[in-house]
Amino acid sequence: MFGKERRSIFRGERLGLLIALAILAAVPLYIKDRAIVELVILANIYAVYVASWDILCGYTGQVNFGHALFVGGGAYAAALLNFYFKLPPWITIFLGGGVAAIFGLIIGTPCLRLRGPYFALATFAAAAVPYGLTDVYWEVTGGLDGLYGISPIWPTLTGKYYFSLLLTAASCGLIYVGGRSNKGLILKSIREDEIGAMASGINTTRYKLMTFIVSGFFAGLAGAFYSHNQLHVGPETLSINLSVLVIIMSVVGGIGTITGPICGAYLLTIFNEMLRQWEELRLLIYTATVVLMLIFVPKGILPALTEEIGRVFKKKKGGEIAYGRTVRGPGID
Amino acid sequence: MDVLLEVQELTKYFGGLGAVRNVSFTLHQGEMLGIIGPNGAGKTTLFNLLTGFLKPSGGKILFRGENIVGLKPWSIVNQGMARTFQIVRPFHQLTGLENVVISCLSERGAARAKKGAEEKAWKLLENVGLAGKERIVAKDLPHGDLKRLELARALATDPELLLLDEPFAGLGLPEIHTLSPLIQKLSQEGHSIIIIEHKLRELMKLVKRVMTLQFGEKIADGTPEELSRDQRVIEAYLGKGGRTFATV
Repeated sequence: MFGKERRSIFRGERLGLLIALAILAAVPLYIKDRAIVELVILANIYAVYVASWDILCGYTGQVNFGHALFVGGGAYAAALLNFYFKLPPWITIFLGGGVAAIFGLIIGTPCLRLRGPYFALATFAAAAVPYGLTDVYWEVTGGLDGLYGISPIWPTLTGKYYFSLLLTAASCGLIYVGGRSNKGLILKSIREDEIGAMASGINTTRYKLMTFIVSGFFAGLAGAFYSHNQLHVGPETLSINLSVLVIIMSVVGGIGTITGPICGAYLLTIFNEMLRQWEELRLLIYTATVVLMLIFVPKGILPALTEEIGRVFKKKKGGEIAYGRTVRGPGID
Repeated sequence: MDVLLEVQELTKYFGGLGAVRNVSFTLHQGEMLGIIGPNGAGKTTLFNLLTGFLKPSGGKILFRGENIVGLKPWSIVNQGMARTFQIVRPFHQLTGLENVVISCLSERGAARAKKGAEEKAWKLLENVGLAGKERIVAKDLPHGDLKRLELARALATDPELLLLDEPFAGLGLPEIHTLSPLIQKLSQEGHSIIIIEHKLRELMKLVKRVMTLQFGEKIADGTPEELSRDQRVIEAYLGKGGRTFATV
């Protein structure tokens, strides 16, 4: 409906996503190293973390510094329900998502009145509270050690892998489609100019709050899956380190595109693991790479890449193809 | 003619400063009203009060007989009162089309978009003279086009009452001479319009009634001819003894 150019880009983007999905689906078939499969499972989970962060922050422009609140909320909810009430994982995962969605509502309501750095600080603080609570109520939560003995989602590694892929494909797919829909367009208008959006008759408060809830739900879902994947839950799921990591992955990948942050999640997870051979230098190289990327590819890897491909494509055709800048899609967002 | 908007003793204080003081006026359906006044007279504040971006310190705003004081800006838009901004506020990273589609997705805009939001946005862009520029990102559009885009966005919410805040500001004469007939046409199509404008000559061609504000107070309300003879209006603009220069 948005015209020919947009469709062709859409097709290109979808093709890319399908190829990526196919590669991910083939991982356990060709890779026999258990550690690598476990690593890709972790990357799958991270992909959901960043996608759910991006729909809130990249789209509406409010930078959430406490995404771990949703992740950890889901992780603890699932783990506690499983540990104490013996609920099966397929129920606790959804309940974890639900609990995080409620967190989104509770945190979203007061935070909506705040802007910029105040918003960031409030989200930062909101995540710090439950982190502290895990220690205060150590008898229930296991304190700093966390709880061990959470049920596995699936007994075999391959089964677990495909479960994680299903979670990622479904969650990221829904977020992606939502972001590209009219609702996503409205979220972007809030980022661009909230007053302008209000003057356009958009109930910005309702949209922001809904996004908070959606973002919380998917992050909680993935957090809950993480608990069942690790068979353990600990306060690291609520830590500021995780919140910051999610932001770094998103920024490196390309904020506001959904696909960009997902790309960033896979790249950085794998890159981080590759660096383990030089363990003593790992953090140094990792940080330096991230900083260099922010300086030289500030838009993020994926938008920069698509723009480059678009340019080459345009040259080849020699025609006037409105690419990137004038069309909705990665590269301009 | 029915009364569309009735403003009663509207007042807004910023601290001790009375930006708008006891302003009352009525607007009939289909009427076009001009608002003039020196800088700082409270014109834009009045618009911000009417559209819910500011809460009045006192007074009432009856829109179609209902008091809309305290409603959020978006509900006022969805009741049928839309505005443009003096300093344009486009969604910079979005295309011209997307800018208008947003308004078409508002409650009121969507309810009146029979063939879908996009179809409606295309048509509106064509109507305001932006045909062929639908795909250009707003930040790459020149100022004149942004003014038109602003108008298209307001129209996309299907307003009964349109508030235009200095639609000609920053435009050259040729641009004004294409925009002015457009506003005229909107009025003929049945939109009620309130228009703030500093370019008096252009404004007087459009409206049959002008209200003058000074220091937040209404000092005159009448036809352009009456106003051009009004001692207080002339003094507001040109100072005491300015009458000899007045040739509006």
